[in-house]
Amino acid sequence: MNQAEKDQLGVMIRQAASRYPRKEAGLLPVLLSIQLQHGCISPEAELLVADALDIHPVKVREVVTFYTLLSREPRGTYHIQVCANLSCCLGGGKAILDHLEKKLGLEPGGKTADGQFSLETVECQGHCDEAPCMLVNSEYHGNLNPEKIDKILGDLS
Amino acid sequence: MLNIRIDGKGVTVAEGTTVLRAAEAAGIAIPHFCYHPAFPPEGSCRVCLVEIEGIPKLELACATEVRDGMKVSTQSSRVREARRDVLEFLLAEHPLDCPICDKAGECRLQDYFAEYGLFPGDFREAKEKRDKRIRIGGKLLLDRERCILCTRCVRFLDRIIGTSGLGVINRGNRCEIAAHESRPVDTIYAGNLAEICPVGAITDADFRFKTRVWFLESRESLCVSCSRGCNIWVDVHPGLSRAVRRKRVFRFRPRPNPDVNQYWMCDIGRAAYAAADEERHEAAFMPRSGRDLRLSWDKAFILISEKIKASRELGKTDRIAVVLNTGLTNEELFLCDRIFRRGLGLKNIFFADPPARKPDGFLFTGEMTANPRGAREVGFAPVPAGPEFLAAETELLLVFGTALAETAGKGSALEKAFSRIGTKVLFASRASSLDRLVDIVLPTAVSVEKNGSLTNINGRVQDLVKALEPVGECLAEWEILSRIGRELGLGGGIFEPPPALEKTRRAMNSDIPFFKVGG
Amino acid sequence: MEAARIALTSRFGTKCMDSLPVYLEKGGYKTARRVLLEMTPAAVIEEVKKAWLRGRGGAGFPAGVKWGFVPKSSGKPKYLCVNADEGEPGTFKDRYILGLAPHLVLEGVLIASYALGVGDAFIYIRGEDVRVAQCLENAVSEALAGGYLGDNIFGKGFSLKVQVFRGAGAYICGEETALLESIEGKQGRPRLKPPFPVSMGLFGCPTVINNVETLCNIPLILENGAELFLKNGKPRDGGTRLFGVSGRVRRPGVYELPVGTLLRDIIFENAGGLGDGLTLKAVIPGGISSPILTPSEIDIPMDFDSLSRAGSMLGSAAIIVIDQKTPIFDVLRHVARFYAHESCGKCTPCRIGTAWIRKIVERLAAGNGEGRDLDEIMRLAENMRGKTLCPMGDAAALPIQALIRKFRAELDLSIGRIQGKGEAVC
Repeated sequence: MNQAEKDQLGVMIRQAASRYPRKEAGLLPVLLSIQLQHGCISPEAELLVADALDIHPVKVREVVTFYTLLSREPRGTYHIQVCANLSCCLGGGKAILDHLEKKLGLEPGGKTADGQFSLETVECQGHCDEAPCMLVNSEYHGNLNPEKIDKILGDLS
Repeated sequence: MLNIRIDGKGVTVAEGTTVLRAAEAAGIAIPHFCYHPAFPPEGSCRVCLVEIEGIPKLELACATEVRDGMKVSTQSSRVREARRDVLEFLLAEHPLDCPICDKAGECRLQDYFAEYGLFPGDFREAKEKRDKRIRIGGKLLLDRERCILCTRCVRFLDRIIGTSGLGVINRGNRCEIAAHESRPVDTIYAGNLAEICPVGAITDADFRFKTRVWFLESRESLCVSCSRGCNIWVDVHPGLSRAVRRKRVFRFRPRPNPDVNQYWMCDIGRAAYAAADEERHEAAFMPRSGRDLRLSWDKAFILISEKIKASRELGKTDRIAVVLNTGLTNEELFLCDRIFRRGLGLKNIFFADPPARKPDGFLFTGEMTANPRGAREVGFAPVPAGPEFLAAETELLLVFGTALAETAGKGSALEKAFSRIGTKVLFASRASSLDRLVDIVLPTAVSVEKNGSLTNINGRVQDLVKALEPVGECLAEWEILSRIGRELGLGGGIFEPPPALEKTRRAMNSDIPFFKVGG
Repeated sequence: MEAARIALTSRFGTKCMDSLPVYLEKGGYKTARRVLLEMTPAAVIEEVKKAWLRGRGGAGFPAGVKWGFVPKSSGKPKYLCVNADEGEPGTFKDRYILGLAPHLVLEGVLIASYALGVGDAFIYIRGEDVRVAQCLENAVSEALAGGYLGDNIFGKGFSLKVQVFRGAGAYICGEETALLESIEGKQGRPRLKPPFPVSMGLFGCPTVINNVETLCNIPLILENGAELFLKNGKPRDGGTRLFGVSGRVRRPGVYELPVGTLLRDIIFENAGGLGDGLTLKAVIPGGISSPILTPSEIDIPMDFDSLSRAGSMLGSAAIIVIDQKTPIFDVLRHVARFYAHESCGKCTPCRIGTAWIRKIVERLAAGNGEGRDLDEIMRLAENMRGKTLCPMGDAAALPIQALIRKFRAELDLSIGRIQGKGEAVC
């Protein structure tokens, strides 16, 4: 991060924190923001956030490692999260996952060499009426089948 | 006050007392890992579950407050099964490291398993593999496989020290204790982490693999590294019948005292355990460039007293200088007062102590000796010793302690001053650069080897109880001073043989109001 | 089946944004206005108590009773947290509400805050659904602009600030104290109770946490009266529920029906039954934390007490329908994996128990297990029960035990088939 980015981050953090009765409540919103912008939360970002919110950096790392939406390692430009829970599986989720794995050449947890795509299985997303479903970054896609998946991936590349 | 029954035993406790504390008061121990009396209850280990009449679920003893008429069972079959089950969960992911783990013998998991478990190991799955030797700061090592996630370490740094430093990262069974590399654990209280860890997850590299705790005996003493007077345990290896062991003291640990140090001590004090056995002077000698000349105590006392008497006769007691230190016990300082100030009327009485540091707002006071308060209460205004004070026509110099060694380098002002002094006698427990600069070195006992009392920074007088016999021919300073007083023919009854600390103490208590009241 | 007084869904719009005009047209915020101008907070709480509105997040605790526990005066600010985390597998009703009737939520929040003396409310929404969070943010802005939130609402001198707070992907944050920890910038690890949130909650202040659907019923209760609300349902369990049906049914979706509707009717009438060539093998009645039911058990009224008596749970009223082609072993595997993944790790029995069970199930799936491993799982689940810091331990143990107990024969068969083949099925 260059100085301008750091300053911008500092401003964002202070703004976020000021919305709450205690500034520490700004931690999760700030981290989600950083995750969105940078695709991950680096140790450098952890330190900046810790300083701005006046908490120990290890407490920031605790939060980053606890929540599924936050990651320490950079995710792909398009991070695909496939629901692997029961209702989606009943809707044919396994076939969907297999198709994605084949199409992207990835296993869950992996990232393509060009950094375009990463794949992850997740738990219930609350879209069970549209099973099987997946998230591409923050967009939901339900009632999936291999053709729909191909179209979605095609539109992205 | 509330009346309850625990395992049929009646006990009366104040409102707000937890079942666990009430049980303690009744002499009943309830197993626990995450609970520690210094913190509010955490409720995560689940080992302290007990049965309370009228409540269908088992409840946590550490977190449940007693109510009047409550009936608790800590030994019912339900409770025993629950303990067994929780232990089984803990041991499922715990490595069988006992043969190589330092905590063996003082490990709660071992102890509770022996008492409440004793089930065959049925875990057929693969245990999680985790890092086993992580430096988390200072001399501490973290073994993540052994960790049972009681989070005492995290909470100690958060609550007691207030700096934080450790956290629990990840989720579920992937949880681990971790530090942040940018700000590792850096506190002089880190040693307490190895102690409060109920298992061998956090260990002290200093103690690692040195001995087994069942070979050690714990004896009471006081830390003398600063003026807080933390109560400590001295862990002593009593020796083997067929071999002489050089090392006797293996560890200092804090001894709980709610009025002084609660449950803690600092690492400065902890590290001082080594002083008992390292580089000790064991016999009196006169330094020579070749082979040092041995000397007996009797000869030494005669020599010293003759020199003092000679100066006294000539009316030249201003040629005698004494350098004391504020690590001496109350009784020793009292004897110094009776001998040097009142007995001989010496003017040149100085104090040499290690330079003071900043107090840290917790236990460490910054005063680098145990008894500056005691010195003041006895009536000394500790004047520091410097070479200029010592040079003025001194014929006899008595130095107690080695603090002067800091400034005693080759070509130093101190060395020059010493070379002008007629006879120099050093009373010291350990080797230092002063040894080569004096005429006689007399070996003294260290704090764990003598009786006495010390006054801490808050004016609390605490007893120092002898935990070990002095090595070799070492004598405690009070014994030395008593003998010198007797040789000089000073009165007051306290110098009558045989030397007895009690006599000195009684005299001190009756003469000085501060000590009469008990400090 | 009687035609029920469908009320909640009547307030639903058809699209997410610009929802205020639609809501107002349907009579929105009229009740809130009347309540603030004509009723006392105590009277509101009484009415909600009389209605026997049970929490719709899963626990089913009577909302009015919870509200009654909040200290009248405290010297500390009071908070209301709306639990919109909706992480219970099979549940998606709150997503519908937030997307199609965010103002119904806000009206419920407004009335509840007025009754409780709350000045700051947080809507904790699961982090993944960005679009729904935006819906909600938009509705908050609309309500603020329209004077239904903010300072001096309806000129009554009551002010309320509502903030949308996104979660970040942790099922355990649906547990009320873990939710509070999350808002406070920490990991979502449940707290020891007592103290309860009503006395020591968010930032150490008295706090009420209610599920989204629970709060949506507040305007309806105050509009139509507690008696009518209670009559709609069952004794001690009033109103309608949004039943979410998913799995092998023809018409998965949300169905608003009176509390006490028969499970059989919901599956076969409302959701159109199973697809062609499929027969019913099992039903999960209230989200994955509820013990599974066999086909012979589905003539059961869907209310808290009936399901409790049957050894299961109404929970979040999320019905998952399983067909004869789906191996129960797969269901077991999903359940085991879910809880191991979502355990927060704080307390020993859940942290180790869920992981241990999962390891055994994975070993079975890889073909390295045998029938007695199921007995081991039963034993471990039993050892977890009643010992954990929060209800998630039981939520993991009970469904697993029910699966094994009720489908043992099939599971033994599956294990025998997988053995040696090393083929995972799902």
